Amino acid sequence: MARRFNQKLEQQSAPAFFVHGPSPLARLAFFSALSLALMAADSRLEYLASVRQNLQALLHPLQLLANAPSRLYRDTSEYFSTHEYLLNENRKLKKNALKQAVELQKLSTLELENDNLRQLLQTNKSIIETSVAAEIMHVGRDLFTKKIIVNRGATHNIAAGEAVVDATGVIGQVTRIYPLSSEVTLITDKSLAIPIQVERNGLRAIAFGHGRDNTLDLPYLPTNVDIQRGDKLVTSGIDGVYPAGLAVAIVSQIEITPDSPFARIICVPTGGVENHKQVLLVSIPHTIEPVKTEIISTVKLEAKAKNPESKVIAIKPTVAKPGVREPTAVKAGPEKPQLIPEVKSIITTPTNNVSKPHATE
Amino acid sequence: MPPSKLKSIYLSLAIAFVFLLLPWSGFALKIRPDFILLVIIFWLIRAPNLCNVGTAWFLGLFVDLATGGIFGQFALAYTITAFFAVTYQRRLVLFNHTQQLIYVFFLLMISQIVLLIIKTFSGAEALGWDYFLPSFLGVLLWRVAVVFGLNTGGRSRGA
Repeated sequence: MARRFNQKLEQQSAPAFFVHGPSPLARLAFFSALSLALMAADSRLEYLASVRQNLQALLHPLQLLANAPSRLYRDTSEYFSTHEYLLNENRKLKKNALKQAVELQKLSTLELENDNLRQLLQTNKSIIETSVAAEIMHVGRDLFTKKIIVNRGATHNIAAGEAVVDATGVIGQVTRIYPLSSEVTLITDKSLAIPIQVERNGLRAIAFGHGRDNTLDLPYLPTNVDIQRGDKLVTSGIDGVYPAGLAVAIVSQIEITPDSPFARIICVPTGGVENHKQVLLVSIPHTIEPVKTEIISTVKLEAKAKNPESKVIAIKPTVAKPGVREPTAVKAGPEKPQLIPEVKSIITTPTNNVSKPHATE
Repeated sequence: MPPSKLKSIYLSLAIAFVFLLLPWSGFALKIRPDFILLVIIFWLIRAPNLCNVGTAWFLGLFVDLATGGIFGQFALAYTITAFFAVTYQRRLVLFNHTQQLIYVFFLLMISQIVLLIIKTFSGAEALGWDYFLPSFLGVLLWRVAVVFGLNTGGRSRGA
């Protein structure tokens, strides 16, 4: 109001030719300093996460308004889809459902068998992931990063770090949570790395996003590494973020140059972002609470003993028992109750994967 | 020129913001002109007493929010662009349409270059020359708006 009043005064007293207030240079200096300070506060100190969340909630209605035209178009085109098309789709889906039902039956017997075997070996049970279906609202607007925004957020109990998957493979990871939406960084983003395993021979590596085009890199692998074109890369699951065994990418190109000790391996992700609208946010539950407290106690014990090789001690139960049948590291031995939980918590996820090749042998 | 109203400034900026929020993807995202900056430049030329460097900075913050980048990137880019627009505002009003067009193009480029520098500092990959396509599209949009009767204060040669 005051500004408006001032403006009216200005129009009356002085010609509009002369702009009052601080000089442009002063304004430039002030606002540039302010934005630089903001950048520093946001990137280094991460003070502004909650501010961003709240402001994002403020923008949500505008976002819905902007999404309305495309949504309307989609809905109407769905409404006017032909009888023939729907019939075809129905037939296809039924066929798919039948095929998957058969596979599912096999899977349930396998799961049962796996559980029984694990009980026999006294290893811990495989982790059951929970998942939430979400819809892609829009592709990230920043050209420099590969991100998508999905319509599930903090109010739907989504947590940062969850894996994002579609029907064909891993897409990325939830990196930022807003009240009603969340931001997913794609595996092709330069800042995201994903632990993978070559399906053919079980070789583990880490894939990095390439950033510019939609490919993944497998850096730091020697030139004589056993990877071929067309190899399928699946998640290894050792990170505790991605469930094991999901398709990630297919090796498309291997370049070996004499001047580099590493092979240059380029992979194409199997999961599509452009062609899918629905995704699944998968979260791996953390291990049971008591385990965590036990870990702290072991750490404290080790701290008291001041043993520099604390990790070696933690793995000892497996090494010290060569006679025991199980190949994997975890056994609930009664002798060292403090140590076992730590072993469990560290190796919980790998147990699944490690036991798989053994099961096939 | 009739005096500009604060309400129309806010309304036009809000509409530009909704345009930014449209679900752009693929090639459209690559060539999407910077609607908000165009509207800001228009008002900077038209009514520098109502829309100034501070307005540009504030809108830059909102764009930062919408793009999900670090706070302050677009704010800084818009601030610097607005400074160049405001400094030469009095001359700009006297330019003819073509001269204005060229100047607007330079302003759009300045904003993109500032953004590119900030992004490069934070470790982003260079995007190649088609990164600058939005500036060309923006100028095209400006030209179309002028043809359709938007009064930017420019004088046509004939008149």
